[in-house]
Amino acid sequence: MKALRQITALIRKDLRLQFGSKETLALIFVFSVLVVLIFAFAFGPIFPDRLERGKLTASVLWTAFVFSGIITLNRSFTLERAHGALHGIRLTGVDAGSLYLSKVASSVIFLFLLEIVITPIALQLLDVFDVVTIEILLKLFGILFIGTLGFCSVGVLLAGISTSTTGGESLLSVLLLPLVIPIIMSGTKCTVSILVMGGLRDMLWLYMLIGSSLLFFASAYLLADAVIEE
Amino acid sequence: MRLNASQITKIIGHRTIVKDVTLSINPGEIVVIFGPNGAGKTTLIKILSTLLRPTSGKLKIENTDAIADYLQVRHTLGVIVHEQLAYPVLTPYENLKFFGQMYDVEDIETRCNTLLDEVGLNRFIHEPVHTFSRGMTQRFMIAKALLHNPSILLLDEPFSGLDASAKQFVTDRITQEQQNDKSVVVTTHNIELGYIVGTRFLFMINGELEEIAHKNTIEQDTLQQMYEERLIDTVQKRL
Repeated sequence: MKALRQITALIRKDLRLQFGSKETLALIFVFSVLVVLIFAFAFGPIFPDRLERGKLTASVLWTAFVFSGIITLNRSFTLERAHGALHGIRLTGVDAGSLYLSKVASSVIFLFLLEIVITPIALQLLDVFDVVTIEILLKLFGILFIGTLGFCSVGVLLAGISTSTTGGESLLSVLLLPLVIPIIMSGTKCTVSILVMGGLRDMLWLYMLIGSSLLFFASAYLLADAVIEE
Repeated sequence: MRLNASQITKIIGHRTIVKDVTLSINPGEIVVIFGPNGAGKTTLIKILSTLLRPTSGKLKIENTDAIADYLQVRHTLGVIVHEQLAYPVLTPYENLKFFGQMYDVEDIETRCNTLLDEVGLNRFIHEPVHTFSRGMTQRFMIAKALLHNPSILLLDEPFSGLDASAKQFVTDRITQEQQNDKSVVVTTHNIELGYIVGTRFLFMINGELEEIAHKNTIEQDTLQQMYEERLIDTVQKRL
């Protein structure tokens, strides 16, 4: 029960810090919208057929969310390290696993809310909105949620390592991007399938997305103690 | 609570920061460690507070191995180091409330208000900590260190950068905590203030700890003189 209370307090604090930082919010929102706009301008105003539009939208969404995710994770850990707040939390006796779980949960909540805001904008600007039903939208958000969970599972751990080093912000991208290739690849394929076919044609990509997300989550949870305490 | 450190050594890179330190602190005792900058005081405090693992040596708090079972002993420690160990963008009240929840402090709101009142920050509970002066920050850090009523206080340079009234506040507060039977370790290079608060004195120079005397067996002037002699010896050895 105590661990659950601690995790809840940590998540609330993280969300308070993330939503309280106007500059971070603006940075992440503007960055995501900008990515969508650039692709919309480059490929528009006349978009190719539905298949091409689906592929383009999937690429745009995942590009925007992966890089927004990196910014979010970096900012989140920079706040923890800046004045020794992470040491303050360690001194409360909370175990590294709970700390890791709370960081993953708060990052997933934050990024998923961003995705809920950005996805309709991207669908509209890339001319896909008319073919998207509520059912398709829910499936799309389901895939994005699983992908975000996998991304944050490994991202939180690596952000914990990279922000403790000099020049850590760029280090996170270098370490994280190669590792999350299975998530990005399978997530993008699932997104294309949902946007083009209205559902998943090949379940292999969904299994790969879920499998890699769970694998990252379990491995990172087991490694959390070594990263946070050392 | 009793704290026992035995043959603690910390090597970072090729440099030995803390050399074979053995230290024992009993309840109601205020151990003051004097030492110049770079002597290894902060590293020692971080090791005693379990924030840093020693390269070798043993650390026990009561009968618990604090190196292996650090999670079990951390709630018994109140720590002040150079960093705030808190969130500067949050207000002192928000910080205390959050850390109080983490420590599972009962009736957290009353506890926060009482502490902020005691350290004289009750007028600033809605101001973010990053807007505080050095003295106000130190008061906040004292409130945070005492939040969960720890049995052991580890205070690294608690007087640095403070004006006279803030120094008086910190010395009064440390003495008050001794009366509550807490074990206190203070590191400082200020002999005058260290002598006022301490019950036992040690020197730490070049990572080595030397037991000097109990307060009732030494005068402040003698302590000052011994400290200066040790520093001169160290400089001469380097030359």
